[in-house]
Amino acid sequence: MPNHPDRSPGARAVVANGVGKAVLGLRRMTRGGGSALPGLVAERIDPHMVGRLAAQLPGGVIVITGTNGKTTTTKMLVAILEANGSRVLTNRSGSNLSRGVASALLERSAWRGRLAEDIAVFEVDEASMPAVCAELRPSTVMVLNLFRDQLDRYGELDSTANVIGRALAGLDGSATVCLNADDPLVASLARYCERPEVRWFGVDVDGIAKLDHDAASDSDHCPQCGHALDYDKSFYSHLGHYRCPEGHVERPIPEVTLRSFEAVDDEASHLLVEVDGSALSVQLPLPGLYNAYNAVAALCGARSRGLSLTDAAEALTHVTAPFGRVERVDVNGRRLQLLLVKNPTGFNQIIQTFLAEPNDTRLMLAINDGFADGRDLSWLWDVAIEDIAPGAFVLCTGVRAADMALRFKYAGVEADVVPDVDEGLAELLRRTPPGESAEVLANYTATLELREKLNGQAAIKRFWQ
Amino acid sequence: MTSSLTIAHLYPVEMNIYGDRGNVLTLVRRAEWRGFMPTVVEVGVGERFDPADVDILFAGGGQDRGQVAVGLDLQSRADALNDAAEAGVVMLVVCGTYQLFGRRFETLEGHEIPGIGLFKADTIGSTERLIGNVTIDSPWGPLVGFENHSGQTTLDPGQFPLGTVVRGSGNNATDKVEGAIHHNVHGTYLHGPVLPRNPAFADHLILTALARRHGVDKLEPLDDTLERAAAKVVMDAAR
Repeated sequence: MPNHPDRSPGARAVVANGVGKAVLGLRRMTRGGGSALPGLVAERIDPHMVGRLAAQLPGGVIVITGTNGKTTTTKMLVAILEANGSRVLTNRSGSNLSRGVASALLERSAWRGRLAEDIAVFEVDEASMPAVCAELRPSTVMVLNLFRDQLDRYGELDSTANVIGRALAGLDGSATVCLNADDPLVASLARYCERPEVRWFGVDVDGIAKLDHDAASDSDHCPQCGHALDYDKSFYSHLGHYRCPEGHVERPIPEVTLRSFEAVDDEASHLLVEVDGSALSVQLPLPGLYNAYNAVAALCGARSRGLSLTDAAEALTHVTAPFGRVERVDVNGRRLQLLLVKNPTGFNQIIQTFLAEPNDTRLMLAINDGFADGRDLSWLWDVAIEDIAPGAFVLCTGVRAADMALRFKYAGVEADVVPDVDEGLAELLRRTPPGESAEVLANYTATLELREKLNGQAAIKRFWQ
Repeated sequence: MTSSLTIAHLYPVEMNIYGDRGNVLTLVRRAEWRGFMPTVVEVGVGERFDPADVDILFAGGGQDRGQVAVGLDLQSRADALNDAAEAGVVMLVVCGTYQLFGRRFETLEGHEIPGIGLFKADTIGSTERLIGNVTIDSPWGPLVGFENHSGQTTLDPGQFPLGTVVRGSGNNATDKVEGAIHHNVHGTYLHGPVLPRNPAFADHLILTALARRHGVDKLEPLDDTLERAAAKVVMDAAR
């Protein structure tokens, strides 16, 4: 890793910055939304541009990674920092590969490569961690969780953990690493943190009913001896309170702990968070235990920066869900709830939060197999479809509508198949009476497609804010 | 007609990664829909189990970490599994377990995991990962699936493959054959999982098992419109 002795932008950096910004401008005009291209172009001209830009930030860089919750947690931490008066730079639209981070820095820099912000919070894709951390020298790194994701793109979970570990091992000694104590694989990353300080967050609540068919436990074995871990409490996937029967590993005691979780309704929850023996009440305008995890992670990050947690809790009450995660859209008097599903654990959390109680749900699933979705949809068979309570109807759309319907068929539920998303949406609206609601679960490119269709039918804010 | 059908799922925890439990679910449902009464026995590392006692044995793919533990455990079951195969027990092994049903798996680093030698085949780790949709021609018609492996498997001359590759890689990057078959033991790299979208193959496994133990000679046809539609999408999809 090169140091950056020269902090002033040299001629090459100014050119790189200028060209990058020009490309960014062009992209905006032609297609809208930021992208990786400006970062790529600038990177080619000056490979250390990103590091130079980041080094200007007096508050340093916070990096957030993990399989699920990156975008939401980033949004939470940005809200907390902004409420504290910081000017925060972030990559808002989920462009979390190294070039997306570069583009975000470029976009905010003036033409001669100066930044007006105090601090940056970036969500970073797991695979991009070594490159991004080497270049940005983050002062805080947060690892939320590690679940099986698109295996055709990322490979196996253990290798993902090793990649993140490599990034952590190269951090500055003054850095802080916030880790999820409840995830055995994430907790095992502490061994890479010889110099940085490790701080833990976690959940300790009773009465969480794990889904009967939650088969998405990816790392419930001791990372050292391979024995199955013993669990006192189990929340979802392999998250819980664990101990190796041979005594090799045990869940660390977190400093920020969720003590109680209560769903207010489909849209909000009430959290009680314990920090240093005192309780902090958080009214979170987001549903589900998975968002509560994101909130305690964000609070842990805030604490590591020495921020007031009372102010942080207040800032969390105004956080809204990012693109497609949970979104309500009114279409001709019908209320659609859009939910993004990308992997078994995320899908199971949607089921646990919205679909496990008996109801008259109208359910549409939109499943594509674009590169951004992962081309291998085997994971649909690891989803706890059997735990979805019977509802009014199930409608499958998207390129892989038949695959999704087949999964339902083998769970004993007959689903309709309308592969064309336009027609699928029309069918859903036709079968949902005005004044009623429907749940729409979609993977990434299907969400994009649905947004585009819905843009014509309802007012939705553009997702690249 | 209420014959029982015992399905063993070997290493459901250790080798559970690619949605492979969908294969067991498919065998269970397609047997139930014909009025049979399947039961599933899950067998983990170190658990006592005689493969000769079951009708169908299934084992899937896993992470490398799982494969090492499973490799050791499989050694202790090598004779029992080979005997059961000779006796005609129906088996389906996918990806990681398929590799260990061959003679050996040599990792990229030169570390050797011995297999049980049921298939006359060797697997060698490679830097090239074979990833994508696959179509093969098989005795049960075209089969579709998704492959994702860095181990390249080579069959001995005389070792029958499961099928010939129409699209994709299969056992390795050059031979254009996929999987292996020995008596009623079927090995394959196909995920997806393989059975839901290839119902003729699933029914072949069920019928072979029922014929052997209960003298069943044919299965009632089912409506497989949805299964065929899902398979067609994969055949038409980008690699």
